Amino acid sequence: MKKITRNNLEEKFRQQTGELEIRDGQLKQGVDREKLGADREKLAEEQIHIRTKAMEAALDGIFIVDAKKPNFPIIYANASFQGLIGYAENEIIGKNYFLFYGSDADSRIVEEIKQTIRQGKSFYGEMLNVRKNGKKFWSLLRIAPIRDTNGVTTHYVGIQTDCTLMKQRDLEIEEQREDLLHVTRVGKLAEFVSSLAHEISQPLTAILSYAQAAQRMFAGREPQLQEILQYIISDDQRATEVIRRLRALLKKTKPTFEPLDINVLINDTVALIMTHITVRNKVVEFELDSGLPLIQGDRIQLQQVLLNLISNSLEAMEGSSDSHELLIRTSRKDTDTIMVEVQDSGCGIPAENMKKLFVHFFTSKPDGLGMGLSISRSIVEAHGGRLEVKNNPDRGATFYFTIPVNMKNANEQS
Amino acid sequence: MPSNIYIVDDDESVCRALKTLLMTFGFEVKTFNSARSFFDAVPNDEPGCLLLDIHMPGLDGWAAQKILVGSGSKRPVIFISAEKQDNAASRALKVGAMGFLQKPVNAQTLVDLINAAPEDTNVTVNSQ
Repeated sequence: MKKITRNNLEEKFRQQTGELEIRDGQLKQGVDREKLGADREKLAEEQIHIRTKAMEAALDGIFIVDAKKPNFPIIYANASFQGLIGYAENEIIGKNYFLFYGSDADSRIVEEIKQTIRQGKSFYGEMLNVRKNGKKFWSLLRIAPIRDTNGVTTHYVGIQTDCTLMKQRDLEIEEQREDLLHVTRVGKLAEFVSSLAHEISQPLTAILSYAQAAQRMFAGREPQLQEILQYIISDDQRATEVIRRLRALLKKTKPTFEPLDINVLINDTVALIMTHITVRNKVVEFELDSGLPLIQGDRIQLQQVLLNLISNSLEAMEGSSDSHELLIRTSRKDTDTIMVEVQDSGCGIPAENMKKLFVHFFTSKPDGLGMGLSISRSIVEAHGGRLEVKNNPDRGATFYFTIPVNMKNANEQS
Repeated sequence: MPSNIYIVDDDESVCRALKTLLMTFGFEVKTFNSARSFFDAVPNDEPGCLLLDIHMPGLDGWAAQKILVGSGSKRPVIFISAEKQDNAASRALKVGAMGFLQKPVNAQTLVDLINAAPEDTNVTVNSQ
């Protein structure tokens, strides 16, 4: 097997370019053919040289596959590609590209790449690869066909980039989002149970009181009635016990207060749903007062509130193509209070819903549970603040809440 | 031992049931669905023990007690609530109430606590 090295390749390029030059030269008339040819050749040589150097110097892995041979051998691999997969040039050249994926590669993606390039199309995708030393890494892979003048695919050029860091960041954000969703779900359930328990305890209180009143009224008389009343009382107590246990089971986790920078918290929270915002073609604008003191709060719970307000705003702007701006503003309301506003340009809130907005189980959404805002309000109140809403003068609504300044910290700052 | 009892609870059926129960013990009972309507109807110098629900729309039990104490009242107050609150009992004592009972309230426990209240509302309540 003839071994193709970088120098061979360079030679080949040079030959082809030379042929082009000649053909080009034949077209021109009345020009000093020889001189022009020599100049052009020099220029072309320089260009090939710089292009070859550029490919070699590129920080992305670049490789070329010969599509005319049945096993699709790699005929060129730049230094970055070698570094990326951890194999030396002589281990790569002549081998089939697919040998370098590693055993952990997703077979579906490998198959997809094979299919795509067999059809002479371009491939773009991410996959998990394994280095020679067994270390896994994520790579972003682009493979494009190189065609000859007849449109026949002769080669493929591939660019492979290590995107492990980006992928890790994505995964971290995904994990954080999952955590938050879990906490939100548990919080909703706890709130649900708590309000259910309250609603059921009221009639149980009445039943118990009536039964005990009747017991006293018939004291010393009507033994059968007395027995029934006793059954009512003990069953009432049984129901009370069930509720007590249910409450204990879903006891709301105590918030853990720590000093927080509200602006950082807002940025972190928005990062969690940035994709969500972008695919809906919405934009978030910030007016964050950079001189704010720290607040005292529970990170996850406050993120829950922010997430809830932002999601609501996005939903309020859904279906309206000309409202896509969401504004988040922080400011100092007074010496010991910070104000956070989430302002949308959506449909606003009908006057008749204003009062019910924060009530458990009230929802204006067809698939809503009606817990989001009531939970948000109880979180804000547990932090010593208030959550309110107003319709904007022009359009949309603004939800705003206050959070007390961490006084210890504020004193240290001033 | 006070002979008058005032019940403030936004739940109509709880008011009615507690009233029925306490009447069997010989108390005079009046019920109110909000703290505001109680304040409007019953002046501070009218004796009697107040059973005060905590979780109510508008003025809640804690806010109502604050107003009551602020107005110079020495009326014995017992908080009752369906809401489970860990520190409610100690908080109740701290704000000058007789105590806190979790709903559903057992008749004897409630009556014992009422009977422990001083009859004369001018007597200062021990707030520990």
